[in-house]
Amino acid sequence: MANAPLRCVMLALNSPGYRSLALGYLRAYAQADRRLAGRVAFETLDLDTEVDPWWVAWRVLGMDADVLAISVTCWNARNVYEVCRLVAAVRPECAIVLGGPEVGPAAEEVLATHPHVSAVVRGEGEITFADLLAELSTSGKPWRVDGLTLRKGDEIVSTPDRALVANLDDLPSPYLTGVMVPEDGGAYLETFRGCPHRCAYCFEGKGYGRIRSFSDARIAAEIDLVATAPGVRTFSFIDPVFNLTDKRLEMLADAMAPHVARGIRLHTIEVDIERIDAEAAALLRVAGVASVETGPQTIGVGALKACHRPFDAERFTAGIAALRAAGISCECDLIVGLPGDDAYDFLAGLRFVLRRDPGKLQSSTLHVLPGTELWERAAELGIEFDREPPHEVIATSGVGFRDLRRAEVLASALQSVYRARI
Amino acid sequence: MIRFAEVVVGEGGGIRCARCHPDGAVVSYRDAEEVRAEVSAVCGLWDTPPGPNITFTGAEPFGHPALPSLIASAVEAGCVRVCLDTDAVACTSPQNAGGSLMAGVRHLRWIVLGGTPGVHDALTSRPGALDASVAGVRSFRSIAKDQDIDISVTAVIPVCRHNVHDLPAAVSVALGVEADAVHLRVEDGGLDLGSAIPWLVAACDTGVVNGVWVEVEGVPFCLLPGYDLHLADAVRVRPGTKQTACASCALDPVCAGAPASASTDQLALLVPPGSAPSLAASVMRSRREAVR
Repeated sequence: MANAPLRCVMLALNSPGYRSLALGYLRAYAQADRRLAGRVAFETLDLDTEVDPWWVAWRVLGMDADVLAISVTCWNARNVYEVCRLVAAVRPECAIVLGGPEVGPAAEEVLATHPHVSAVVRGEGEITFADLLAELSTSGKPWRVDGLTLRKGDEIVSTPDRALVANLDDLPSPYLTGVMVPEDGGAYLETFRGCPHRCAYCFEGKGYGRIRSFSDARIAAEIDLVATAPGVRTFSFIDPVFNLTDKRLEMLADAMAPHVARGIRLHTIEVDIERIDAEAAALLRVAGVASVETGPQTIGVGALKACHRPFDAERFTAGIAALRAAGISCECDLIVGLPGDDAYDFLAGLRFVLRRDPGKLQSSTLHVLPGTELWERAAELGIEFDREPPHEVIATSGVGFRDLRRAEVLASALQSVYRARI
Repeated sequence: MIRFAEVVVGEGGGIRCARCHPDGAVVSYRDAEEVRAEVSAVCGLWDTPPGPNITFTGAEPFGHPALPSLIASAVEAGCVRVCLDTDAVACTSPQNAGGSLMAGVRHLRWIVLGGTPGVHDALTSRPGALDASVAGVRSFRSIAKDQDIDISVTAVIPVCRHNVHDLPAAVSVALGVEADAVHLRVEDGGLDLGSAIPWLVAACDTGVVNGVWVEVEGVPFCLLPGYDLHLADAVRVRPGTKQTACASCALDPVCAGAPASASTDQLALLVPPGSAPSLAASVMRSRREAVR
């Protein structure tokens, strides 16, 4: 009698209304892996961060998982660890595998501090996770898998880093394979990996070092599928810079145009606003972009320098004006607590944004994320932050604890006043 | 940072401390056409985003017989944010609350004198006023929520010697109606600011720890060390508030509570642009001396 397949439950705790694209990629790749065919049975559990960890554990334990794979971000990490603890207590034979930006860059620390976690996938996870499942399903030796940090007896060992996927088209599309079904407002597409910027607080580039893109044909196929899915009227892209190049923006506009004519719209795409002129804004309009999200994050000279962020006030202002002329709403983001900023720099940023009247103002507190430059240089830069997720800044050499909290509350009030309009 | 131009709809009858103002004022309202013309002029001249934004103030706006047409004129003139200075009692009527929302009102500056009936009702000489006022704000907010309309409520508390001890409770009441901010406006020239500071500080802290911003107007920045951020975001001149608390200093012509790091842009509102840098330096110097 053949062995029963390995039961792999893939869990994500998402912001309400969203589904994990990361799990979609992992599952699409693993399901296409011939080594796993008939050996591994997959189940995806996309839940919200608002679900109590005990009820998440209830759901997981009801699935009798042999492997529990969880995508971890700073936002869901506390709940994830709670779920892991509960699952391990009831079902110790279940291998718990974590991946994602919260754990990958700090894999050994995660394993050292969370004894119920079996392994951490570092970096790009599709191939590593499939290789791990192949080893687990054959009673093999997972420490032969590159890109893993795991337990070997009483030791924590890290295998060599895995090379990046050379051709992103080798990764099956979660949508084209049917692993993910697009939902209105909640579907996200990824057209490239990496980021042209090197902002010290951000893990968007995920240490990829260079930008790799899916092919135009693959991107167009995904757009066609999502845009024509039943019930979908809006979707978005997770790319850190939608207008990466003019040529690329034209390609995306061309791919979107037929669907835009049917009323499909893109919401909350991230743009480099200083490169948006009337022509680029027109292309965004053709692409059906209804709203964009952008910086400046700060306008303080010290913080811009510490975070390696370029900022040209005139170009920024021109970008917002171009978007407004094209009828595109803009959300400007500011971060309170960046190194080099004091409270009045933050207020100056608020004032700068409000004077440009972008449409939406969003302020957030700095989170010092694993794998970022700020994480590595926090002490040197005078940043005190919570080592526990979500790693919120506690105080900086420029802004004390109380003024940071005041700035958060002030910004929140201003957002409400600004948002309330006819 | 988000400026509202004040358009006076009338005089008298507003919420104010009956002990500070024992003579009951006669309520009178301006001619609607005159107000509409002013609204149009203000909107037409507005040149600093975001806006134009208008607050109907002076007498209780819900008492103006032509309030709907005044709001409509603001909307027609391109006003982006319309605010009412009100005690909100009129909003206990769903017709008033819903009607003003539908017409375009998105902001209330809710005037309250205290956080307990014992203070608010006594100072307004209106038994039951606080409960009715709170009910009005809640009604406005509830209807806005039902209609999926974003609104903002700022509790405005005129601070005087008769209610200063009740400020933390007043902030708590603002929390209870989900106010986005609280504005403490010190306007009693006879208030002993030195003894008022602990109450102001407590009010600020009550707000912040509960996630509601508290802004203080009319207190010299040198009297609230460590609370600079609460001292309004722009320099405000409110004659009659400074001289009771401060010794003579270089800022007398302009200071009424500037933030510690008032920028030259802010100070430029008060002096010719060329003088702003020297005034900024003077602000910093005076503050250091005051702290010392």
